[in-house]
Amino acid sequence: MTGAFSTATIIVGLLIALWALVYLLLKRPVDRYLQAGTLLLTAMFVVLAIGGIVQMFGTNQDFARAEFVGYLLLSPLIPLGGWWWAKNDESRWGSGVIMVVGLVMPVLVVRIQQVWAGV
Amino acid sequence: MSESPAINRGFGRVLVVLYAIFAIGATSRSALQLATRFDEAPVAYLLSAFAAIVYVIATVALARGNRTTSRVAFIAIAIEMAGVLIVGTISLIFPEYFPRASVWSTYGSGYLFIPLVLPFIGLWWLRKVAREEPTR
Repeated sequence: MTGAFSTATIIVGLLIALWALVYLLLKRPVDRYLQAGTLLLTAMFVVLAIGGIVQMFGTNQDFARAEFVGYLLLSPLIPLGGWWWAKNDESRWGSGVIMVVGLVMPVLVVRIQQVWAGV
Repeated sequence: MSESPAINRGFGRVLVVLYAIFAIGATSRSALQLATRFDEAPVAYLLSAFAAIVYVIATVALARGNRTTSRVAFIAIAIEMAGVLIVGTISLIFPEYFPRASVWSTYGSGYLFIPLVLPFIGLWWLRKVAREEPTR
């Protein structure tokens, strides 16, 4: 849960937030590339969820397992919902939606890592 | 035209997402708390559940964005504002009732104070939209 892949999800989330911020400042709506980026982020969180749950069953470590699974299963819904909510918006605020999603996801990864570590 | 004056358009799109994130987070956290460790901090956990319901109602009302739901959103956000201010203050004066944090305790400090700021932004937005389109 603290490996290279979870670091990659953090980096991709932040890059998407930055990308969306640029669109927001340029008053550009979401385009197909930013949509693809958001769906990529969604897919990465699906992989993170599967990987995390597999890892969880492979360890006897004591941590809040229900909370861990809850975070992992619900987290892909945020970029997926954000993509759906932003895709038909013709104003720059669709990009604002993606920016919020991109900022929230790295926070979630850090929180998931804390739960994994027993914090 | 890009700033269409309906509560779920323009900046309202972003507001819905912020509320949705708190609705999902508060609801799932609260369900887990009530199901597994209600006895540890009943006051904090019941308040978390109440906060979750308020966030869900505000999210749905803001997202639908017609005249009736604008009013519902206004009421829900006003309750949210009262909730975060009252619970925040009580949690500072009587910390013994809050051995575990609720989303609103110490004014939402565990969530970067976003729970404190959000209702102010929400009411500002509803007011702005109402002014731009007085006939609705």
